[in-house]
Amino acid sequence: MSILSLEFLLLAACTVLLYYLLPLRIRWAVLLVASAVYVGLSGWHSAAHLTVVALLMWGGGLLLERKRSRLLLALLVGLDMSAMLLLKYAPIAQELLVPVGLSYFTFQSAGYLVDVYSGKAQAQKNPLRAWLFVGYFPQLAQGPISSWKELGPQLMTGHRLEPEQFISGFTLLLWGYFKKLVIADRLAATTDALLGGGSLPGWFVLGGVVLYTVRLYMDFSGGMDAVRGLSRMMGVELPENFRRPFFATSVADYWRRWHITLGKWFRAYMLYPLTTSRAGIALGRLASKSLGKRTGRAVPSALATLLVFLLIGLWHAANWNAVIYGAYFGLVMASSMLLEPVWKTTRATLRLPQGGFMTPLRIVRTLGLILLAQYFAFTASPQQSLALLGQTLAPWSFEGCAAQLTAVMAPLEWLIAGAGCAAVLVVDGLCERKVDVCTRLARAPIALCWPVLLALILVIAVFGMYGTGYNGADFLYTQF
Amino acid sequence: MEKPTVSRRRELLRFWLRLICFALLTAAMLTYATYVLTPKHDYGICSMINLYRQEPGSIDVLAVGTSLTYAGVNTNVLWEEYGIAAYDLCSAEQPFWVSYYAIREALKTQHPQVILLDAKPSIYTKDYSPRGRIILSTYGIAGPANRIGAILACAETPQDALGFILGLPEVHSNYQHMSLSDFRIPPDNGGRGDAWKGFIEMDEVEPHERPSLVFSSVRRNMNARQEEYVRRIFELAQAEGIEVMLLGIPNPDYAHDHMYYNALWSIAEEYGISGINYNDPSLRFGLRYSSDFADWQHLNVKGSVTFSRRLGEDLMERYDLPDRRGDARYDSYADSAAQWYAQYPMYMSEKKEGAKTQ
Repeated sequence: MSILSLEFLLLAACTVLLYYLLPLRIRWAVLLVASAVYVGLSGWHSAAHLTVVALLMWGGGLLLERKRSRLLLALLVGLDMSAMLLLKYAPIAQELLVPVGLSYFTFQSAGYLVDVYSGKAQAQKNPLRAWLFVGYFPQLAQGPISSWKELGPQLMTGHRLEPEQFISGFTLLLWGYFKKLVIADRLAATTDALLGGGSLPGWFVLGGVVLYTVRLYMDFSGGMDAVRGLSRMMGVELPENFRRPFFATSVADYWRRWHITLGKWFRAYMLYPLTTSRAGIALGRLASKSLGKRTGRAVPSALATLLVFLLIGLWHAANWNAVIYGAYFGLVMASSMLLEPVWKTTRATLRLPQGGFMTPLRIVRTLGLILLAQYFAFTASPQQSLALLGQTLAPWSFEGCAAQLTAVMAPLEWLIAGAGCAAVLVVDGLCERKVDVCTRLARAPIALCWPVLLALILVIAVFGMYGTGYNGADFLYTQF
Repeated sequence: MEKPTVSRRRELLRFWLRLICFALLTAAMLTYATYVLTPKHDYGICSMINLYRQEPGSIDVLAVGTSLTYAGVNTNVLWEEYGIAAYDLCSAEQPFWVSYYAIREALKTQHPQVILLDAKPSIYTKDYSPRGRIILSTYGIAGPANRIGAILACAETPQDALGFILGLPEVHSNYQHMSLSDFRIPPDNGGRGDAWKGFIEMDEVEPHERPSLVFSSVRRNMNARQEEYVRRIFELAQAEGIEVMLLGIPNPDYAHDHMYYNALWSIAEEYGISGINYNDPSLRFGLRYSSDFADWQHLNVKGSVTFSRRLGEDLMERYDLPDRRGDARYDSYADSAAQWYAQYPMYMSEKKEGAKTQ
């Protein structure tokens, strides 16, 4: 069930209403029932798989708490992950039905097992509560990936109705739908035009890749805002998954702002264990001898980062484009780690400031590096990506440019998409300056708050891409 | 339930009240947005909306059906020449299941003596209506029960119906074709005004030959759902004490329809209902296939005048219909006819000449 469907909206409305109408101590059960309905409506295979994973996590957690065995942990995590790997990557499994939110709840359950093993979380004794942790319906389809510490206690405790929080959540929910339905789905036509083949002018290809990147952000972050907003309406604060990534001043900064919970999961459960392992420390010592102390110490982190980004690439898809995408970011980040001392010296020599005029330059440089990777993100093969790159670098001709743009979308549609992007840029800019727009609006007098909310509802209802006549894409990140 | 303090209880009460007000305001806003964005075509939605603006109990003959009816049954001719108060409640390709709910809706304010039922839907083979037709046929119905009933009857699956029931999901993308007149309540019926009685003139002329066909008694069964709803219409009319007259409106592409019409006529016979098939070549009433059609199936203005004159004659002969001319309650019919004849004066003079020769 898509979170864009009327069924989902109905389920969400009923859940919120029941949540506050029933006693505090059983409010977690409302979330459990709503999640069960959501999973049940997503298909029997989703319900069965999720239940098996939840039972494995619950039983495994209890066992690990009793006996902290590394072998047992490896076995449990291996079992958990192997089902996901099989369903995602084995050709034979392509025939099978992949459950909704497979990798999100798999990562979440694996993280829980590691946390229980390392003593960061207590094992949950109630299997239904364990099921709710992995199957919590707003976040099931596309994350965010939460740790037990972030989500578990919040789910199990009933929350009192806080009007301000409720309105703030509702605003965030609407904002998410606005980003997804009004902007992202409208821009889908530009990606289709790029993939349509044929000889395209360089400006058109570059513009298309830029718009694909914008679309991806609006799509994924819009979905996140919607589920975080819905969750906030019930007093459950889900972790942030996007923090204005296009304001990033470096690729590392970008990955701290883009799909934050995935990056956090890989850092917590892969990167740190690798770099702090005995092998990692030994490698660091060895490298320090030949490369010097500062560079040598960065070698294990750089290698682990490269490996993690390769895995992140493969998580997106098992094809060469995904490998190139992951390796590219891994190499950029690893090289920036290893060359950090050189950059520092250069900056000091040229007396370049950290902030000031350098900030916009660094943002532009980062955007350039990100755009280069995007050529490999939406195409089917490296050949196709390289062909598009070649077309971008060829001499640009602006002949018939207006006709080409209107062939993709009508001028009014361009105007709507442009105005939507401008609105997001303004709000993101405010958030970047630490202005919590949703909470500010919730605190504002009705004379300001209601017209803004009503306008947002109207814009989504009228300009959103939905309904029978529209056969748009589902959320791009639900396929994972 | 949590046990709140007095101030907390007050805060919560205020919140819930505000939430209800906000929800009502949102619903009102979206309802108006749906109205604005609904395409207000005279060949569907407007004829239904305009029905609500008719004086209650003022319609004596209600013509229900497809585009053949709204292009053929000229309400102005029926009024001007016979004093018949007739209204065309039609939409393009309107199936019997929509006609059934449209009649139910009309009966809330009107009680016609005769329902003219277009026979054309008997040839439709699909179990559901296409998207655009659902909007045309149902968005004008204001009564929620009849509107939802019509939508459920039209939609291919109940899931498909949800968007149409809510309204906005199916018409929101119409913002590209909106004009300022779309904001007006009620609509101006495409500039036709309040007096309009549902007739739509087609000015084109497309020459045809009279279809060569043998009026055989061979039947081809109607689609089961069309049959179910036409039976419902017959039963509803009988329960309300309203006469039903089946109407076979002339069209040059008739040959294929004949076997279905036979099936419809024999079903109607079970209820003691009859009708007139004006495609019957033996009914010579002056219709010229070379000049009286707008396209392959619709009568043009000249054709509608010729056909409606004969229809009026038959209606007066078969039913005890009152001549409403001169009755102040029926001024809107006189206005409608006056407006129409001002636009097509040649048909007024033809009528007068005809009257002289008689």
